[in-house]
Amino acid sequence: MTAERKAEDITAVRMVINWLGLGLFALLGVAAVVPLFLIIGDVYVKGIDAINRLGGLWHFLTELPPTPLDERGGIGPMLVGTLYMTALGALLGIAVGLPLGVYIGEMRKEKFANVARAGVNVLVEFPTIVVGLFVYAVMSLAKEDLNRYLLGPISNTISPLGEWIPWFIGPLDGFNAYAGAAALTLIMIPYVALITASAYASIEQPLREAAYATAGREFNALFIVLRKAVSRAVLTAALLGTAKIAGETAPLLFTALGNLYYASFTGPTAAVSLWIWYAAQTSYEVQIDSAYGAAAVLLTIILTIFIIARIRG
Amino acid sequence: MLGFLLVVLLIPYLIAAYGLLFVKLRWGLRLFGAFIVATIGLLTAMFLVEAYPIIARDGVAVFFQTRWDPVRESYGVLQALTGTVLTSAVAMALAMPMAIGVAVTINEILPARLRGIFGSLVDLTATMPTVIFGLWGLFVLGPFLKDAVNSVSRYLVGDDVMTSPYTLFTAGVLLAIMITPYAAAVIREGYALVPKPVEEAIYAVGATRFEAAFIKLRYVRNYILGGFFLALGRAMGETVAVAMVVGGNFSRFTTNILESGITISSLIALQFPNAASYQYMVPALFAGALLLTLFGLAINAVAIYIIQRGQI
Repeated sequence: MTAERKAEDITAVRMVINWLGLGLFALLGVAAVVPLFLIIGDVYVKGIDAINRLGGLWHFLTELPPTPLDERGGIGPMLVGTLYMTALGALLGIAVGLPLGVYIGEMRKEKFANVARAGVNVLVEFPTIVVGLFVYAVMSLAKEDLNRYLLGPISNTISPLGEWIPWFIGPLDGFNAYAGAAALTLIMIPYVALITASAYASIEQPLREAAYATAGREFNALFIVLRKAVSRAVLTAALLGTAKIAGETAPLLFTALGNLYYASFTGPTAAVSLWIWYAAQTSYEVQIDSAYGAAAVLLTIILTIFIIARIRG
Repeated sequence: MLGFLLVVLLIPYLIAAYGLLFVKLRWGLRLFGAFIVATIGLLTAMFLVEAYPIIARDGVAVFFQTRWDPVRESYGVLQALTGTVLTSAVAMALAMPMAIGVAVTINEILPARLRGIFGSLVDLTATMPTVIFGLWGLFVLGPFLKDAVNSVSRYLVGDDVMTSPYTLFTAGVLLAIMITPYAAAVIREGYALVPKPVEEAIYAVGATRFEAAFIKLRYVRNYILGGFFLALGRAMGETVAVAMVVGGNFSRFTTNILESGITISSLIALQFPNAASYQYMVPALFAGALLLTLFGLAINAVAIYIIQRGQI
C-alpha cells in the first residue's frame, strides 16, 4: 500500500468518526429536549380532555375543586391564589432584585459587592424547599407578635372601610398567602439580580462614561440614562423569573399550605401547583383529571409569559 | 420577640435602603447587598436553632442512623442521605452527556437560524414547573421505565427486577431531564467564550468538526466541571418532582436503585405535614434541611471557585 493511499484511508476513517461523533452529540442534544415535547403533549392531550369532562373551560377556571364524589369541578380558588402570590412575589422580587443586581454589576471593584454576588449565587441554587422551611420558621416565630402589635390594631382601624378588607388584611394564620409570597420573593430576587448584573456589566465603558458625564448624579446615570441600555434584559429577567415562580410548589408547601375554597389571604391559600401536587397523588379519577386540567392551565400561563419574554428579549 | 424585631426592622430597613438610593446611592446599594448576605446567614442560623433539640439529644448520630420510626421517636436520615446520593448519581451520569450534547449541537451542528429556537427549548425545560415534571413522571415515565427495565431484565436474568414504577431510578431519570439545562447553560457560556483565533487555529491544522468540538470541550473543561457541580446542587435539592416518583419509602434502608426510596428533600416534603404530632420530628426535619443547606453552600463554593479559576 502506498503512502498516498494510506493517507486517504486515514482521511476516510476520520470522516467516518467525524460523522459518527457529531451524530452522537446531536442525538444526546436532541434527547435533552424530546421529553419537553412529550410532557407538553401529554399535559395538553389529557388536560383538555379533562377540562371538557369536568364542565368546560369557564366552569373549570372558576369553580371549586371536585371532591371524590363530584363529577364536575374546577380550580377557581387555586387560580386566584397563584395569581395573587405570584404578582406579590414578582413585584417584591423585582423591587429588591433590581438594585441588588445594579450593585453587584456596577460596583464590582468593591469587596463587599463580591461577597453579595457570592450570596446571590448561593441563593439562586438553593433548594426551594429550604427557602419554604425558612419562611415557615420565621413565620411561626413572628406571627404572634405581629398580630398583637401590628396587624390586629391595623385591621381593627381600617375594617369599617369595607367588606373586602378582611380578605386582604387581618391577623395572620400560621399559613397564609403573604408567607407564600415571601418565599416566592426570595426565589425571584437572585434571578432578577443575576441577569440585571450581567446586563449592567456588559455596558461598554465609553457609554458608561457618557452617562455619568451627562446625568450629573450617580443615581440618574445608573437608573435613568443607562436604563435604556439594559431595560430589555431586565424585562426579560423579570418575565422569566415570574414564569419560574408561578409554577413553584416546594416553597409553598409549608407557607401557603393550600386550600379548597375561596378564602381570605390571611389564612391558608390555594395554589394551582399545590393542587396538582395534592390531587395527582390521590387515587380518585376525578381529582387526577382535575390535576391534569390544572397542569394544562398552569402550563399555558407559563408558556405565555415565556413566549412574551422571548419575543421582547 | 425575635420575630417581632425581624418584621418590624425589615420594613423600615427596605424603606431606608430605597431612601438612601436617592440620597447616597452607594450606601443604598450596599444595604441591598447586606440584605441578601444577612438572609443567608439568618437562614443557616435559623436551621441550627430549629434543629438543635435533636442534635442535642442524638449528636451527629442523627445523620448516621437508618431508623425512621416516629412512634419510638427515633429519627435517622441516613437512608434519605443515601437516596439523595443515589438519585443524584443516576441523574448526573445521564445529564452530563446530554448537557455536552446540547452545547455542541447548538454551537457546531445546527444552522445559525435554528440555534436560537433550540436554545429557547432548552431554557423552557428549565422554566417548566417541577410539579408538571412530577405529574408526567407519575403517570408516564414511571410505568414506562418499569416496562422497559423489566423487559430487558426478563431477557437477561429471567425475572422482573423493578417491582414498582416509583423507585430511586425513576427519580434519577426524571432529575436528569430537569437538570440538563442548568449544566448546559454553563457549558454553553464557556463554549461561546472560546477565542476566535483558537478556533481558527484548530481548523487551520485540518481538524474535522468533531475533532474541533472535542478540542474546544477540553478547552472549556473548567466550565464543564462547574456546570457539573451546579447541576449536582440542583439535583440534590429538587423536591416536588422527586417526592412524587421516588416511592416514599422512609422506613427501610436500601441501596438498590430499583427499589422505592426517599431523599432528604422529599422526606421533608412528605413528613412535614404530620410532624407536629411528634416531639422530635420537626427538629429532625430541620436537621435534614440544615444538611441540604450545608451541601448547597459547599457545592456552590466549589463550582464558583472552579469557574472563576478557569475564566478564559
